Amino acid sequence: MLDRELKKGSAELLILSLVEDRPRHGYDIGQLIELRSRGVLRFNVASLYPLLYRLEKRGWIRGRWVEKAGQRRRRYYRLTPIGKRVLAAQRDGWQEFVGAINRITGIAHA
Amino acid sequence: MPDFKEEIRKRVASLQLLPVREAEIVEELSQHLDDQYEQSLNRGATEEEACGAALAGLAENDLLARELKRVERHIQHEPLALGTEKTNLLGDLLQDLRFGIRMLLKNPGFTIVAIIALALGIGANTAIFSVVNTVLLRPLPYKNPERLFMVWEENSKQGFPRDTPAAANYVDWRDQNHVFEGMAAMTEISFNLTGTGEPERIDGQRVSGSFFQLLGVEPQLGRAFLPEEDRAGANHVVILSHGLWQRRFGSDPTIIGRPINLDGQSFTVVGVMPKDFQFPSRTDQLWVPIAFTANEAGQRGNHYLEVIARMKPGISLEQAQAEMTTIATRLQQQYPETNTSIGAVITPLHEHVVGNIKPALLVLLGAVAFVLLIACANVANLLLARAAVRQKEIALRLALGASRSRMTRQFLTESVLLSAFGGGVGLLLSIVGLDLLKRFIPPNISQVQAIGIDTKVLLFTILVSIATGLLFGLAPAVQMASSNLNDTLKEGGRDSAAGHHGNRIRGFLIISEVAVSFLLLIGAGLLINSFVRLRHVDPGFRSGNLLTMKIALPETRYPDKQRRSLFFDELLRRAGTLPGVASAAVATNLPLTSTGNSVGVAIEGRADPAPDRVPIVITRVVSPDYFKTMSIPLLEGRLFTEGDKADSPPTVVISETTAHLFWPGENAVGKHLKVGRSTSPNPWLTVVGIVKDVRQYELIIEPKPQMYLPYQQAEFFEPRALVVRTNFDPLSLAATVRQTVWDIDKDQPVSDISSMEEIVSDSVARQRFSMLLLGVFAGLALVLAAVGIYGVMSYSVAQQTREIGIRMALGAQRSDVLKMTVGQGLRLVLTGVAIGLAAAFVLTRVMATLLFGVSPTDPLTFVSISIVLIGVAALASYIPALRATRVDPMFALRYE
Repeated sequence: MLDRELKKGSAELLILSLVEDRPRHGYDIGQLIELRSRGVLRFNVASLYPLLYRLEKRGWIRGRWVEKAGQRRRRYYRLTPIGKRVLAAQRDGWQEFVGAINRITGIAHA
Repeated sequence: MPDFKEEIRKRVASLQLLPVREAEIVEELSQHLDDQYEQSLNRGATEEEACGAALAGLAENDLLARELKRVERHIQHEPLALGTEKTNLLGDLLQDLRFGIRMLLKNPGFTIVAIIALALGIGANTAIFSVVNTVLLRPLPYKNPERLFMVWEENSKQGFPRDTPAAANYVDWRDQNHVFEGMAAMTEISFNLTGTGEPERIDGQRVSGSFFQLLGVEPQLGRAFLPEEDRAGANHVVILSHGLWQRRFGSDPTIIGRPINLDGQSFTVVGVMPKDFQFPSRTDQLWVPIAFTANEAGQRGNHYLEVIARMKPGISLEQAQAEMTTIATRLQQQYPETNTSIGAVITPLHEHVVGNIKPALLVLLGAVAFVLLIACANVANLLLARAAVRQKEIALRLALGASRSRMTRQFLTESVLLSAFGGGVGLLLSIVGLDLLKRFIPPNISQVQAIGIDTKVLLFTILVSIATGLLFGLAPAVQMASSNLNDTLKEGGRDSAAGHHGNRIRGFLIISEVAVSFLLLIGAGLLINSFVRLRHVDPGFRSGNLLTMKIALPETRYPDKQRRSLFFDELLRRAGTLPGVASAAVATNLPLTSTGNSVGVAIEGRADPAPDRVPIVITRVVSPDYFKTMSIPLLEGRLFTEGDKADSPPTVVISETTAHLFWPGENAVGKHLKVGRSTSPNPWLTVVGIVKDVRQYELIIEPKPQMYLPYQQAEFFEPRALVVRTNFDPLSLAATVRQTVWDIDKDQPVSDISSMEEIVSDSVARQRFSMLLLGVFAGLALVLAAVGIYGVMSYSVAQQTREIGIRMALGAQRSDVLKMTVGQGLRLVLTGVAIGLAAAFVLTRVMATLLFGVSPTDPLTFVSISIVLIGVAALASYIPALRATRVDPMFALRYE
C-alpha cells in the first residue's frame, strides 16, 4: 500500500478518470480502484465518500439518486463539463510528473 | 444483515448536519458497507468476519467525521419550517415574512391583482370610516360634551315633535329647573356689514350671554359676553368668527374694542372665536347677545329659539326629562291659551349636530364593509387556486415534519402581508378619495373640514387590514389543514386541490360574493330609484333659467314700508328691462331653501278652533310678477296686479291644497280669511286666486297649505329674495343684476347668488350623497364579484379539461359542454341571488328613512337587479365555458 499522502494527491485523478466514460456509484468506484490497481490502492469508506462530496462540491462531478427496478436506489456520480477540463489538465500534469520521475530514476519507458 | 446505519449515524452525529443531508450520507455509506459485507460473505467469510471487514472501512472512530467536516461546512441552520419542537415565535415570524415576500414577488400577477382588490376594499372603508369618525364618533369640541343637550317644545299634536321654543317658555324653563347648570337660547340673525370694502350680508346668531361659558369655549382673542350685555340697550357688542376676522379684517389683532357697522348701527367687537369653532352651524360668522326686550320675553306664540342646556353632574337623562315634563305641564295649566299642547323634550346635542346624515353614513359603512368582504372572497379564491399549485410544496414540507399549525401560521403570515400591502395602497386611495368625497358631503354637516386621516383612522385601517388578511387567509389554511398528505404525494403533484373540498370552499365563496353584491346592488338600486323619483317630483314651479339672490334691506336705512317699497319698485323696474331678462320678482323666501314663515289663520264664518288646532299656513309675501317669473300656474281667479296697493282691499292668493282644506267642494275664490284669531284686529283678506302647490321646504315633503300676500299690502314680512327669469344662462346675468342693485343703493349687500337649479340641486344634496356613494360601492362590488366568478370558472374549467376532452371524444357536442359549465356557474350564482334576496328583504328596511317613493322591497328594483346580476354572472361563466368548448380532445387527453 502506498503512502497516504501520495494516494491522496492522485485520488482525485483516479475518481475523475473512473466516472469519465459512465456514471458510477461509490462502491463501484472503490471496487474498481482496488481491482485495477491489483490491490495496491484501496480506499476505505471514511475517506472515499468525503472525497466524492468534495469533488461534487467543487462542481467536478455530480451525484444523482437513481432507482432501478428491484434494487435499492443508489447514488451515481458522473463527470461534469468542468470536471472534464480538470481531468484533462490533471492527466497532463500527472504524465509530466511521472515522466520527470522516470527520467531522474532512470526507469526506461515500458 | 447487520444495520450499519446506526454505526454511521453515531460517527456523523457531532457534525449536526441538516437532517436531510445526514439521511442521504447515512443511506449512501451504509449501502457501501452492505455491499462490502455481502461480497465478503460471497467469498466465504463468516458473518462475523464479513461484518468486521465492513466496519474496518470506517477505520478510526473520528476519521469520517474529520474528513466530512471539511466538506460539509454549512451547518447549524434552523430547519426550514420544521419547528415541531422548538418554538421561536419572533424568529419564525421573521422567517415567514421573508418567505412570504419571496412568494409574493415570485407571482407578481397574482400579487398585483390581490393588492388592487384589497386596496379598493380597504380604501373605501378607510374613507367612509374617516367621515364617520369625524362626524359621528368624535366628541363635540366642547367641555364635557356628553352633558350638553338641546331642549325642545314638544307639540306632536300639531305635527311638531321637536319644535323651537317660544321665548317666554324658554325663560320659565331656565328659571324653574333644577337639573341643568345653565340654559342658553339662540336664534339666527343676519346683518349687512358695511364700512369696509363691499357691503356684505353676514349670517350669525343672537345668543344668550352665557352661551360661550355653557359650551365651555373661550374666544381666541378678547372675551365672551358679559351678563350685563345680555340686556336690551346694552347689547351692541359682537364676537367674530375666525374666518370673518381673517377675511374682512385682515386678522387685525387690534380689532378688539373697535366698532364695526352692522345694519347701519355700531357694534363693538369684544372677541374673536378660534378657527375650529363653528356653532350652531358652519355658516355662522358672528354672534351678538340675544338681549330679549320685555315684549319678546313675554311671547309664547312665536316659536323661533333653539335652546341648549348643560346638565348638572350626576343627573340622568330620565331625571332631567321628568323635571322638564313637570315644568311644561305646569305651564300648560298656567297658559292654556298658548301652551295647551306644548310639552318639553330634551335630546343630546350630539344627535342634533350630527343631524339626519347618520342613517346614510351607517348604511354606507355597512356597504363598504360588504365591498371589503367581496374583495376578501376574491383574494381567498386566488389564494386557493395558488395553494393548489403549491400543494406539492406544502405536502413535502409536511412530510419533512413541519407541523400543520406552523404551516397555517406561514399561510396566515403571507395573507396578512398581502393585506398589509393592500391596506397601504388603500390608505393612499382613501386620501385621494376623501377629497372627492368632501365635495359631495351635504353642506349642513358640521366639521367637514376636520375630516381626514387621524391616528384613530390609521388604527382602524391597520386593524381592518390584519382582520382582512386573517379572514381570506383562512380558506387556504383550512383546506391545507384538512388535505390528505398521502394522496397529494401519491398523485405526484397533480392538482388534487381541485378535489371536493377545494370546490366546496370555492363554491361557498362565490355564493357569498353574489349574495353580498346583490344586497349592495339592491341598496344602490333603491337609492337611485328614489333619487330619480325625487328629481321628477314637480316642485310646482319651473326651475330652469332662474337667477336668485338675497337682498335684505336693513331696518336702519329702510325703517318703513314706504321706503322699502320704493326700493323694490325701482329694482324690479330696472331689472325687468335688463336685456335678457324676461321678468323679475321679489319674495320673502324662495322655495326649497328650508326657510320661511308660517302663520295661524282664521276662516270667515267659522268659530275659532282650540289653540292647538289653529290651521297653520306657509306664507310668502311676493311682488305681482312672482308667479309669472317662477312659472307657478294659476288654477282659478286671478294673480296679483299693480292694482293690489297698500290702500286697496287686502287680497290673498292661496294654493290648491289650502283651497281643498279650507273650502272643500266649494269655490274658494271670493272667500275670506285673516291672519291670527278671528277676533284680532288684522283685516280680512279676500281670496282672489288659486295657484298650484309649491314644495316650499323640501322636495320630499308633501305640499302643505300655503298662501301668498302682495308685498304692497303685507305688514309683517319683508321680501328678501330677488328672482329673475332670464332668456339664457341665468348666472351670466348675475353681475349685471347685482350692479343694478348697487346703482340704486351702493351700500346694499347682495348675497347667495345662485340659479334656481342650484337651489333645487342643493336641496337634494343629502340624497345625492348617499345615492352616489352607494352606487359607486355597488358598482365596485359588481365588478369584483364578476371578476371573482370569472376567476373561479376559468379555474374550474381548466381543472376539467381532461373530463371535457373525454366527453367530447365520446361524442358530446359543444353545446352540451357549454351547458354543463355555464350550468355549474349559474347554480352557484342563483343560490347566491336567492340568499341575497332573502337578506335584502330584511336588511333594506334599515334604509327606509333614506328612500323616497319606493318601498324597501320595491319589486321592480328587486327584479331588475336580479336580472343584471344573473346576466353579469352568466357572462362571467360563459367566457371560460366557451374556452372549454374549444378544447381539442386529443390535447385534453394528453394534457396530463
